[in-house]
Amino acid sequence: MKVSVSRSGGIAGIRVTWEVQVDEQPDARSWRELLDALPWDETEESAPEPDRYVYRIRCAPHEVVLPEPQVAGPWKDLVDRVRAVNEGR
Amino acid sequence: MTATPRCAIVPPYLLVRLARLDDPRFAAAAEAARRSLLRDVPLRELRAAAHPPPRTFRAGTARERGRIDRAVWDATGLERLPGRLLARSEGWPATADPAVNEAYDGLGETHSLFWTRFRRDSIDDRGMPLEASVHYGRKYDNAFWDGERMVFGDGDGQVFNRFTRSLTVIGHELTHGVTQHTANLAYEGQSGAVNESLSDVFGSLVEQHAAGQGTAEASWLIGEGLFTDQVQGLALRSMRAPGTAYNDDVLGKDPQPDSMAGYIDTEDDNGGVHLNSGIPNRAFYLVAEALGGNAWEAPGQIWYDTLTGGNLRRGVDFAGFARATQAAAATRFGAESREHTAVASAWHEVGLGQSLVAGAAAE
Repeated sequence: MKVSVSRSGGIAGIRVTWEVQVDEQPDARSWRELLDALPWDETEESAPEPDRYVYRIRCAPHEVVLPEPQVAGPWKDLVDRVRAVNEGR
Repeated sequence: MTATPRCAIVPPYLLVRLARLDDPRFAAAAEAARRSLLRDVPLRELRAAAHPPPRTFRAGTARERGRIDRAVWDATGLERLPGRLLARSEGWPATADPAVNEAYDGLGETHSLFWTRFRRDSIDDRGMPLEASVHYGRKYDNAFWDGERMVFGDGDGQVFNRFTRSLTVIGHELTHGVTQHTANLAYEGQSGAVNESLSDVFGSLVEQHAAGQGTAEASWLIGEGLFTDQVQGLALRSMRAPGTAYNDDVLGKDPQPDSMAGYIDTEDDNGGVHLNSGIPNRAFYLVAEALGGNAWEAPGQIWYDTLTGGNLRRGVDFAGFARATQAAAATRFGAESREHTAVASAWHEVGLGQSLVAGAAAE
């Protein structure tokens, strides 16, 4: 099971993608719990804001596109965690 | 425990007056007042204190047009706006924090371009106070316009420096405010890329105007100095040569196209608004190059007329925007004038050619 977070936009317009192989993580079970609990089907359309990031989060069969202000709560936990693994923190 | 005095009992207007003291004998008190402003005072009162009415103000008298009213807030590493501390308000002396001073000065330079060149009285043309928040988030690699103010991160220190370092970025963010209050272009697809390009155009003009640089001397770079020394790159974007601003083993190569032949279809970045903006950016540069002199004069005036003229649809595409700039050039400088011809040629060169358009645009 793989989760990927792709961040585009921002004033720089530079796309960055972070990926995590969930099964290879020492805390794979807590990853799965976090991923299962995410409100994948409850995202709302909202007007884009200038220079904010856009996040595309994938974990088959799910995929969501979230504007930065909506990356809060469990979504923010996930993004922070995926980045932390990729940045060796 | 902290030794910093808590001044909750001091009313905000007094803290503001203390913080504003420029007398070296009161430097410590002024600094303490500045630091304690906002710690315990309700936000509503602090906002009022940040923008006090001018001393000459009398009920019933019209405010003086073109008067600048700035406030810079310190978000202190949190993601809450405007921030916990009022760091510098209009007329306060410089602080020890370069991000605060850069934001304050950048607000001033942006206000100056729009007021002295285009007689626009702040973002809304009605004297709206200019606000900035600095130190937003932790290692936050971005700057944005939240609908009311511009917001700046400190950068991560590895790829990005603090975002207030570039005057073009400050001008870019405030221009999003001007666009919001005028054409209000939808921030997606081609209208979003036009919105982005307008921010780059006027952001660049703010820097050129402040430095007194003509078209030939100007860098035409957006965000010069934002990358750290570890990045192979000059800036975020180049208006003169889109696609050449950086080429780095980690960040990759600047992906901006410089003509319609390279147009990028993507769902990312609200439909590539920061990518395809390279096309109208280069069109503006080509107009400036053809006309020579200062780009904030005829080229800036044509783009400003287009933005504020009331003829742009919210969802305008590149071709519609190109027609609207031609119509604006013909209206101000005359059909088949040097300026009108330069605008038509510029669009032709980036792949949006059409016969010379005069009169009111249909868009």
